Amino acid sequence: QLDFWLSPRGIGYPVDVRVPFPSLQSVKVHLEANGISYSIMIEDVQTLVDEERTDMLHARRRALFSASTFDYAAYHTLAEIYDFMDVLVAENPNLVSKLEIGRSTENRPLYVLKFSRGGTNRPAIWIDTGIHSREWVTQASGVWFARKIVLDHENDEGLSSILDEMDIFLEIVTNPDGFAYTQSQNRMWRKTRSKRSGSLCVGVDPNRNWDAGFGGSGSSSSSCSDTYRGPYANSEPEVKAIVDFVNNHGNIKAFISIHSYSQLLLYPYGYTKTPTPDDAELHELSGRAVAALSSLYGTKFQYGSIYKTIYPASGSTVDWTYDQGIKYSFTFELRDTGRYGFLLPAKQIIPTAEETWLALKVIMEHARDHPY
Amino acid sequence: IPDSGHKYYLQFTIEDYRSGENAGSCLATVLYPKTKSAPVVNIKCLHTKDQKQIQDEDNRLYQHIRHQTKPIIGNNIPDSYGNIEPALEPVWALAVAGSSYIMWEKSTENLGYSMAQVKSVKQWIRKDDFIEFDYTVLLHEVPTQEIISCHMRLTWLPGHPMKVKYFCASETQEIEDGSGMEPGSAAGILYGRGANF
Repeated sequence: QLDFWLSPRGIGYPVDVRVPFPSLQSVKVHLEANGISYSIMIEDVQTLVDEERTDMLHARRRALFSASTFDYAAYHTLAEIYDFMDVLVAENPNLVSKLEIGRSTENRPLYVLKFSRGGTNRPAIWIDTGIHSREWVTQASGVWFARKIVLDHENDEGLSSILDEMDIFLEIVTNPDGFAYTQSQNRMWRKTRSKRSGSLCVGVDPNRNWDAGFGGSGSSSSSCSDTYRGPYANSEPEVKAIVDFVNNHGNIKAFISIHSYSQLLLYPYGYTKTPTPDDAELHELSGRAVAALSSLYGTKFQYGSIYKTIYPASGSTVDWTYDQGIKYSFTFELRDTGRYGFLLPAKQIIPTAEETWLALKVIMEHARDHPY
Repeated sequence: IPDSGHKYYLQFTIEDYRSGENAGSCLATVLYPKTKSAPVVNIKCLHTKDQKQIQDEDNRLYQHIRHQTKPIIGNNIPDSYGNIEPALEPVWALAVAGSSYIMWEKSTENLGYSMAQVKSVKQWIRKDDFIEFDYTVLLHEVPTQEIISCHMRLTWLPGHPMKVKYFCASETQEIEDGSGMEPGSAAGILYGRGANF
């Protein structure tokens, strides 16, 4: 009845044995009577077997879900979001593909979903969420946007006409190391997780690491600060990957980076008070985008340049993209205005995503109608 | 205002923090002196709720807490997903009130705050009628984006002004292991850990 997992080899060598419950007492008595020392490695093998079975069931269940059974009204883990992307691509191979644009500091893949009806290097729209890891409503909204595009791309006139001429790129988890850290260690983590000898603390603010007014006031030179700019521009692989992508693509016409919270729609510049040459157009477009957003649930947004509306910020994403010639460069700050802040209740995910999508459509349609 | 400071004129509405309903409006002026001493504030508000209503709500909150059979304790309110257990909502509400006092004192012309989370709360049972709580609250500081951890001792009885004692330390970055830094050293002392010196 004894099941040897490590068989007897000779004197002085240990033996591992699984003992069925009815034989436990007699085996113990036998060992003790003969002065054979033993220790218990696994109290109850059945428990372990049961756990493993449950784990495998969950893994299978995850692999079996479809985009229509995914819970958009809940916050998900990194693994779940990455699985979702694969499912979306598998279910919509003619519209959606997944690109790996690089790897994070901790070697997590940086994935971008491409929504395209074909063509070669069409003018494109870029949307990113989750660059600051604690801003959970943004990654959750990114997931919702991906599904929305797939659901609406044929029957929604506006979206269909956008996709007739342009591609949409969507990076849902722009800072996966930070995101994993918010789930395992510190829900309030904002930055990347890069470590450098000589730096007292971990991580760089990825929204201060871009090469636009890098190093100016509006970012910190201390590694312990939550607005640490990093040792040099593009030091963070998460940022460099996007820089390389944008430069290699060469045909991005609108770039939208999504944050929370504060309920703001912002455009360049953050590193200087001087308005961009396109200030009037960006201001007017923002006004219309915000009006569309408000029309759904009455959520109030303010809008304007980063410098004037929120605070000076140097090395920020959309200052760089604008200076690369991407005229329609915007940063969103989604719900709320501080009551829950980063800890926005999950039941607000879908309303937030829905209203934000209306604003995004206004911007995308404008980009479609105003080629440059 | 030349040689004096910066003066702000504010007009804003107020809302009930727990229900979201409109509670009135205020007109205020805030003068930040050039000398960086405390700002001079003038404020006048029109409350849509009358005193009786406010008193009743205060009493209901107070009674709810007094009728608990065990000292209230809690962690992470709201939790990572934004959930607040209904039983702990009154305790969160008190934390908001107490934190607003801290934020009022800490804020400057260039630094603002929101209460991000109640990290922990523990009730101290008193022999008198006052209710007392020990909190650790996290404040979100802008524009620095830092998360500040504050220890707050709050004492209250309806009809009396809330008493708040607090001490805040920047939560910035525990020195983390294995990131290429010398162990121990000035780092521990700088951030107030292991102060056995």
